Amino acid sequence: MLKRLRSLLSFPSPSRGLAGLAVALALVAGAAHGSEKGLVLGVFPRLHASETTTRYTPMAEHLSERLGIKVTLVVSRDFDAFWQGVEEQRFDIVLYNQLHYIRSSRTYQVVAHNKEFGKSTLAGALYVRKDSNITSLAQLRGRTVLFGGGEDAMIGYIAPMYLLLKAGLTRNDITARFAVNPLNSVIGVARKLADAAGSGDAVVEQPALRKAINTDELVVLAVTEQLLHLPWAVRRNMPSKLRETIQNALVDLENSESGRRVLKSAVLSGIGRAEDKDYNPHRIMVRAVAGSAALP
Amino acid sequence: MQGQGRVMRLGLGAKFTLTVLTILACTMAANALYSLYTSTRFHEKQLVERGRALGRLISLVSPEAILSFDFLLLNEYTRQVSAQPDVVYGVILSPDGAPLSAYIDRGDPLVRERTQETASDDVLGLLRKLDGDPGLIRLEFPIVHNDAHLGRFLVGISKTTLNNEFRRQLEVQLMALTALVLFLSMAIFLAFRHSVLFPIKALISASRDVGRGQHAMVEVKTEDELGQLAIAFNAMAEEVRQEQAKLHRQANFDTLTGLPNRLMALDRINHAISRASRSSEKFALFFIDLDNFKSVNDSLGHAVGDELLVATGARVQAILRDADTVARLGGDEFLVLVPDVVNELQAEEIAERLVRAISQPHTLSGRKVVARCSVGIVLFPENGNTVASLMANADNAMYQAKATGQGSAIFFTEDMNTRLRERMQMEQDLNQALELGQFELYFQPIFDTASGRHRGAEVLLRWQHPERGSISPAVFITLAEATGQIVGIGDWVLEQTCRYWAQWHRAGLGPEFLAINISRVQFRKRFSRRLSELIAIYEVPPSALELEITESVLLDDHNHVAEELNSLRAIGVTLSLDDFGTGYSSLSYLKRFRFDVLKIDRSFVAGLPTNGEDVSLVNAILAMAKGLGLAVVAEGVEHREQLDFLTEQGCALAQGFFLARPMDRQAYAAFLENIPVGEGVVQLPRNRNKQRIVRAG
Repeated sequence: MLKRLRSLLSFPSPSRGLAGLAVALALVAGAAHGSEKGLVLGVFPRLHASETTTRYTPMAEHLSERLGIKVTLVVSRDFDAFWQGVEEQRFDIVLYNQLHYIRSSRTYQVVAHNKEFGKSTLAGALYVRKDSNITSLAQLRGRTVLFGGGEDAMIGYIAPMYLLLKAGLTRNDITARFAVNPLNSVIGVARKLADAAGSGDAVVEQPALRKAINTDELVVLAVTEQLLHLPWAVRRNMPSKLRETIQNALVDLENSESGRRVLKSAVLSGIGRAEDKDYNPHRIMVRAVAGSAALP
Repeated sequence: MQGQGRVMRLGLGAKFTLTVLTILACTMAANALYSLYTSTRFHEKQLVERGRALGRLISLVSPEAILSFDFLLLNEYTRQVSAQPDVVYGVILSPDGAPLSAYIDRGDPLVRERTQETASDDVLGLLRKLDGDPGLIRLEFPIVHNDAHLGRFLVGISKTTLNNEFRRQLEVQLMALTALVLFLSMAIFLAFRHSVLFPIKALISASRDVGRGQHAMVEVKTEDELGQLAIAFNAMAEEVRQEQAKLHRQANFDTLTGLPNRLMALDRINHAISRASRSSEKFALFFIDLDNFKSVNDSLGHAVGDELLVATGARVQAILRDADTVARLGGDEFLVLVPDVVNELQAEEIAERLVRAISQPHTLSGRKVVARCSVGIVLFPENGNTVASLMANADNAMYQAKATGQGSAIFFTEDMNTRLRERMQMEQDLNQALELGQFELYFQPIFDTASGRHRGAEVLLRWQHPERGSISPAVFITLAEATGQIVGIGDWVLEQTCRYWAQWHRAGLGPEFLAINISRVQFRKRFSRRLSELIAIYEVPPSALELEITESVLLDDHNHVAEELNSLRAIGVTLSLDDFGTGYSSLSYLKRFRFDVLKIDRSFVAGLPTNGEDVSLVNAILAMAKGLGLAVVAEGVEHREQLDFLTEQGCALAQGFFLARPMDRQAYAAFLENIPVGEGVVQLPRNRNKQRIVRAG
């Protein structure tokens, strides 16, 4: 979208800008139909579609090569479209967040997890500005908390909300607002649009955030236990040999030059093996925050 | 231009080119500035439009990012906006004015200036500073979603590039304009020079040639105004040429005779001097003056006089070579220039031929006319080496020739100049003689031959020169007549005569009459009115004055002479014809003009009584006078025999040394007092005027 925006800005006509955007989104939506002959790789839309495509196209190509089967990357227009694809099992291989997996664990089986910034895990955290004089979770009562992502966001919402619940606050004690992702929630706090941000513990290490704000002005108010990173899952009805082959292809990425290029493209440190029980801590938090009804 | 002080000399071409240059420069500069201004305005509008397009786009796409708190996307938006050319900043503000996303081009000069004054992270402070800058276009767009005000998008667009471009364009256009104006001016100047200046310069050059007296024409190349001017100039030049030729002829040739005039004669003499000086040759000048030409005019009319002049010129020309020059100097004066004259003998021969040719009788208007001339001869270089000296000496020689006698030619001598100088000195002295009282009246008594009684006296004038002593009237009267001084002198004589007569009359000494000589020049001035005044002033009876008039007076305009004589006669004075028989004696004069007295010239009396011719002449005069009833006075009686003869022949009156010498006023007064009565003297009737004097016995 940004590339489109750049080109549009060069021809400053609002009508042409709108048209460009519409076309881009339509293309993405159209691609989500999947392929019956090969495998479909679905990646949840935590990033903009173009960025997701850029990052994960090498991954799809690599898997195609390793599996000998055409792997097609499908980028969803939004989370609703993505989740619909998950529910309809249109994705053979899927990368999504922990909540997504927990919800779809009857039809999908986790085979691997992301390693980001050298870590296999991450924790949910609540950030406040240093000059806010907020030093305890209890002080957030009646305040605005900007969560990174929607209510489906494991690290951006479930984990931070779990911290609040544990501190004795309910959803009604705060004004919950949602930024598009964890980075923006932190930026929103830095811009004084909220009192606290729900995000991941490693988010302040990200260069994009450091470029956007002065992270020294923020402080972590609370942090959850370490949780395994984003899961890679395959359809449960996939042949076991293919599942293992896929798992190995993902895990072996760190061991080859070409695999490392794929990881670098996806901005990942690596991919590790994972199994369903690794996501039980996540299930606890989800049950606390969203209730048992949210679980399958 | 000269004589009007220092004036900046600017040619027509320069003036025209400067004018065109100025007009071109002003017009093109104004046009360029206007174009540049409108172009700048257009580009500024484009800049604004570009900013608006950016703003509208951002305000359109921003709500989603704002609502989703996607600050990174907002940052990307503002970054992309600010990356556009000329955009200084792009800022998204929240509804309460807090910056949600800001991107500022810190490298922009406007920002660099302001960031020195403002904290680098104070976005709003920086915007406030920038907003007041005239070099910045500030645009603001609301960000609205479903009627909810989500914030504002501010974009600042710098006009620096535009202004720089304006300046660059201005410089380029000025340089191009200057080059174009110079090129056009040069082209116009060259065209102007070719089509206007060259023809004008040709006209100026031709005009100068015409001004120098040269004949010049210009080539007519075009049919425009300059061509017409050239045609008009050529016509004018032709007219000038013809007029100059006419003037040259008029200026250099005598219209009557067609001969060269004085001006050309002098020019030719000048050339002759130059040529003769180079070749050590001689040439001769002959100054010819017709004798008594006035008589021809007066007696035969001016037409005949003119014919005589033409005939004389032709005759002279006929006997000369082509190389010789005959010129008419004016009046009856001619000049002959003969180059290559070897010596005086040759010049003399030429002069003789000239005199002979001129003296040949002419038949003019059916009448035979004989003209004589006087010729003055000068030789170059002996008698002068300049035009002026040669002419003056030739003129002088001619006068000498004329004084010598008619039909003579005389070479110039230095003596002539000496005489001339003396004459001029005398002329100057004569001017002062009256004032200095150097004139004196003398009186020569006139007696009655029969009775011996004293009757009166002829008044004579003496000039007592302080250095030269007593000067004879024969010397200075001629000069005074020539210079016109005789008028004043004659008036003095008249007045003194009247005064003395009155004095003597009051003393009882009064002579019966006093005879005064009247000059021809004086007579022309109508002196009768003055005479009446004097008679009235001094109470002199008119009969006491006898006016002696020579025959030459009668040669003047007869009408005038008759009129003046009548006037005098009306006054009552006695009129005497003096020197009768010596001049142009014409018996018709005696008939036409009435005189009272005839005076027999001394030259006729001198031979009496022995010279037969004189005796015959005197007897004839006396007989004629008797017939006409005129009294006769014999002059120059110096012997008893002369007196006796005259007495015997009936000449009533006589004067001369034998009877009494001229005497001054005192002596004459004494003479009057001591006149013996009765001894050999006859008492004449007192009232002489009442009866004609006739020969006694």
